[in-house]
Amino acid sequence: MSDSEYDVIVIGGGSTGTAVTRDCAMRGLRTLLLERDDIASATVGTCAGMISSGVKYRREPDIMKMCSSEVVYLNKIARHITMKSPIIAPLLDLSLVVSDSDYLDAYAEHAEERDVPSMVLITPEATLELEPTVNPDVIASAYYEEFFIDPFRLCLLQALDARNHGAEIRTYCEVIGFEKSESTICGVKFYNRITGQTEIASTKFVVNASGPWASKLARIGGVELDIRPNKGTHLIFDRRIVNIGITAKSVDGRWIYLFPHENTTVLGTTALDTWEDPDSLVASFDEIEYLLQSIEAVIPSIREARIIRTMAGIRPLVPEWNIPEDKVTRGYQVIDHENGMVSFTGGKLVMCRHMAEAVTDVITKKLGVTKKCATQKEPLPGNEDDVDIEELGAEYGINLHTLERMRARRGTEMVKILEMTKDHPEWKTSICTCEPVIEAEIRYSIREEFPQTLNDLRRRLRLGTGPCQGTFCTYKAAAILSEELDLEGDDFLVDILDFRAERWKGIRPSMRGEQLAQEELAQGMYACVANLDQSDVDYDTKPWEERL
Amino acid sequence: MALSCDLLILGGGMAGLVAGSVAAESGISTLLIRKGESATAYSSGAIDIIGYLPEAGEPFDSPKEGLAAIAGLYPLHPYSILGYNENVTPDNVVGVIVERVRETVAWLKKNLKNTVAPLYGDFKRNIFPITILGTTKPTCLIQKTMYSTSLQKEEESVLLFAGFKGNVDFNPAVAAKTYLEDRISIGEPPRKVGHCTLQVAPFGKSYNVSSIELARHLDHESSVDELVKQLKPHVEQLGATHVALPPVLGVKHALSNKKDIQEKLGAEVFELLGFPPSVPGLRLQLALDEVYRKKGGRMLIGHEALSYTRTEKLVTNVLARTNRREVNIETKAVILSTGKYIGGGLSGDENGIRETIFGLMTVTDAYQSAGGIVPSHYTNRFALSPEGHPINSCGLTLDPHFRPVDEDGVEWASNLFAAGSILAGYDYSIEKSGLGIAAMSGFSAAQNAIDFIKEVS
Repeated sequence: MSDSEYDVIVIGGGSTGTAVTRDCAMRGLRTLLLERDDIASATVGTCAGMISSGVKYRREPDIMKMCSSEVVYLNKIARHITMKSPIIAPLLDLSLVVSDSDYLDAYAEHAEERDVPSMVLITPEATLELEPTVNPDVIASAYYEEFFIDPFRLCLLQALDARNHGAEIRTYCEVIGFEKSESTICGVKFYNRITGQTEIASTKFVVNASGPWASKLARIGGVELDIRPNKGTHLIFDRRIVNIGITAKSVDGRWIYLFPHENTTVLGTTALDTWEDPDSLVASFDEIEYLLQSIEAVIPSIREARIIRTMAGIRPLVPEWNIPEDKVTRGYQVIDHENGMVSFTGGKLVMCRHMAEAVTDVITKKLGVTKKCATQKEPLPGNEDDVDIEELGAEYGINLHTLERMRARRGTEMVKILEMTKDHPEWKTSICTCEPVIEAEIRYSIREEFPQTLNDLRRRLRLGTGPCQGTFCTYKAAAILSEELDLEGDDFLVDILDFRAERWKGIRPSMRGEQLAQEELAQGMYACVANLDQSDVDYDTKPWEERL
Repeated sequence: MALSCDLLILGGGMAGLVAGSVAAESGISTLLIRKGESATAYSSGAIDIIGYLPEAGEPFDSPKEGLAAIAGLYPLHPYSILGYNENVTPDNVVGVIVERVRETVAWLKKNLKNTVAPLYGDFKRNIFPITILGTTKPTCLIQKTMYSTSLQKEEESVLLFAGFKGNVDFNPAVAAKTYLEDRISIGEPPRKVGHCTLQVAPFGKSYNVSSIELARHLDHESSVDELVKQLKPHVEQLGATHVALPPVLGVKHALSNKKDIQEKLGAEVFELLGFPPSVPGLRLQLALDEVYRKKGGRMLIGHEALSYTRTEKLVTNVLARTNRREVNIETKAVILSTGKYIGGGLSGDENGIRETIFGLMTVTDAYQSAGGIVPSHYTNRFALSPEGHPINSCGLTLDPHFRPVDEDGVEWASNLFAAGSILAGYDYSIEKSGLGIAAMSGFSAAQNAIDFIKEVS
């Protein structure tokens, strides 16, 4: 039991929760973030990372306008983790050009502030020059540019920045109840999954930023909240299999996309109403085929590419019923339950800062705090200055590819990691060769970014996200984690088993092609040689492993 | 270009090289083609015969016990195929299987004796060597550099795990902890372990030091002295009777290095079982290559079978290719030992599992056609469990002469034999039976091929 007292307790460490925590902390509120798992471990961790200009939502002009200005803000506060990507929408059918022509005008409206050209139609020749794998029957393409962000780093940096402003960040703490005084929430009771203790923290307000669990959490708080949970699945390919992003109409007329992202390519997404438990959610065969069949019309060779895994998440949409998913507003709602709890529904990754500002305004008004929002101005950690990769390469003797990938995660902060290699040159060793990630960055992350598991390290470092899906880095990184956290031998093996289980969740639904060889190798290492299939350590069965 | 031989072997891992050596030994003109490095080179270098029954939790004490259980419970398992023979009666099936595997083991030990991978262990019992994670696994044969006869028996033994700076394949501190916890829980020695990190900089760099770099470095004579110099204070401080190193003792001189270090250190030294890319795996590959060549076998490396000619149930020609040329090979018989998914003998997508050269019928773990299965549907919800994944038991099913059969259950060609991990009916990772089945089936396929060739000649 603790008697800590807060102005605000934010529940949920996704994009919105971390943004709210940052905003509250920056306005001087005593803020606690409680996250049941890890930062960015649910919905935001399964997104493609696009901070959309909102062109898809052109029927909601206010939302388009908001999206565009949020892109501008994110490019300012987090430019070290954003990148601009060109996209083409190859058209195979003249009717598409006519029916969707208002895209061009809608996109042009806000293009200038984002510093991108207007959307233009390009010829088949120009299309094939940009992307030779496009179906040669293409009659024209729409060319435009969008911005992408590392969604994991965004959430983590928001959390770290909040901490720098005095907030407390507690991961692996699951809310199990609320303390009330005359039906108003005055405290939060939570279970610490690491220590096994139950704790209570007093607070004036609670922000329910728990995404797909928002209804469940509201119910614990004694109020009803409806969301429309919607499943989205992505397929991930082993490398950047296209030069530029591709969007295309799917078999049922929705827009889907194939985006080069970091060192991989993502194909997404599906949109299905779902009643599945978010914890046991996995991609289905139907979703995989839906995506492949849909993109195949535009990229006929797609099935020759190597699929390394799937990822599935739940969008907590605004509860609008009796309309198809893509007609549901992409705006968000802030719901004041008038019992000390404020909830969110809806929203997109790009809006997380805006949503946070809105809810923090509600709270500051109630508290009589007058400090204005500054989250759109202040840089996130690492974005304070430019980084000269070549200079660092010469100074620390590390190859530029490794350094550039580190820069894209950390910006100026990378210098602290490189400094560690002066005393420990052996920490320049690549632990994850797919990404790549060096040992010093793993040790730094463990010391500074509160990961508890290899999966937490994956979110912070992209460890194990490449073609081998952790086959070669799992045991090496587990040993480092074990050393840094001074774990028992059994815990070392549990960490390996847990990470293999987590990777397998995504690999399994799309197992085919070259991934069969990859998985034979993984079995050969972890079962055949290490004998971990026979391990008697205390392994907790995962929700997606429960027998149906 | 055209070549001819009596026996053509497709694939040069354990199965293909044993088959080729056995055939060449008996005077058959043998040609082996191999695409690249075999999956055997990726192995830990230990030769498992049978460690566990699928889904079982207790390891077999001996290969003999395991083979009897397999023969009784899995009549179509590759080991069980040895029992289908005109000379076998119901009451000596197990005896015949055991005898044939024992024969394979004896052949391997004898032939690898004077190579870079001499073997330790015998057919009578399974042994439990330590891995780089600090776990143990049952196996039958390991290389002489990889085992200590006394460590787990002597009450007073003290083990030092020694790793190398910048070589992250092996973390001695974590392995030591894991291993000791395991020993304490079963109440057996050693009861004291320690760990240390040595610094050997093969190319003057102290990071990204690979196992193969270390092994090549230790092949140079003076480097052993430096190793001993660094190890000695740690051994003395701990009072270590045994030293466990990652598997890097040398590519060419591993065994003499082991002896040399032991002598200078006054403690027993051995290599742990490691992950790919593994030096002992490479040594095993090199040793088998050498055996095959010495027996007169010919080998084309970097060649891949492209197509074939089959007339009246006989494969008469195989067209192979490299980057530069195509080779038309005329042959009397063929052994298919192209491996599973890693080796490239099998491939699979959403339309089913295929055998990649001849388009042979593939079957599932339940011996139903795998020609139209969706691979993901043949997987287990657990990544790592004693149930394994059915997809890894898919492959070819054989007649008693080790010939792949077609949909009617009869041989696809009277002169095509198969061996190794391309066979259906077992998941080597969970059974711990991979290289054992490869060797046994290579040995048996060769004998059947030899009989066939002699008959037609």
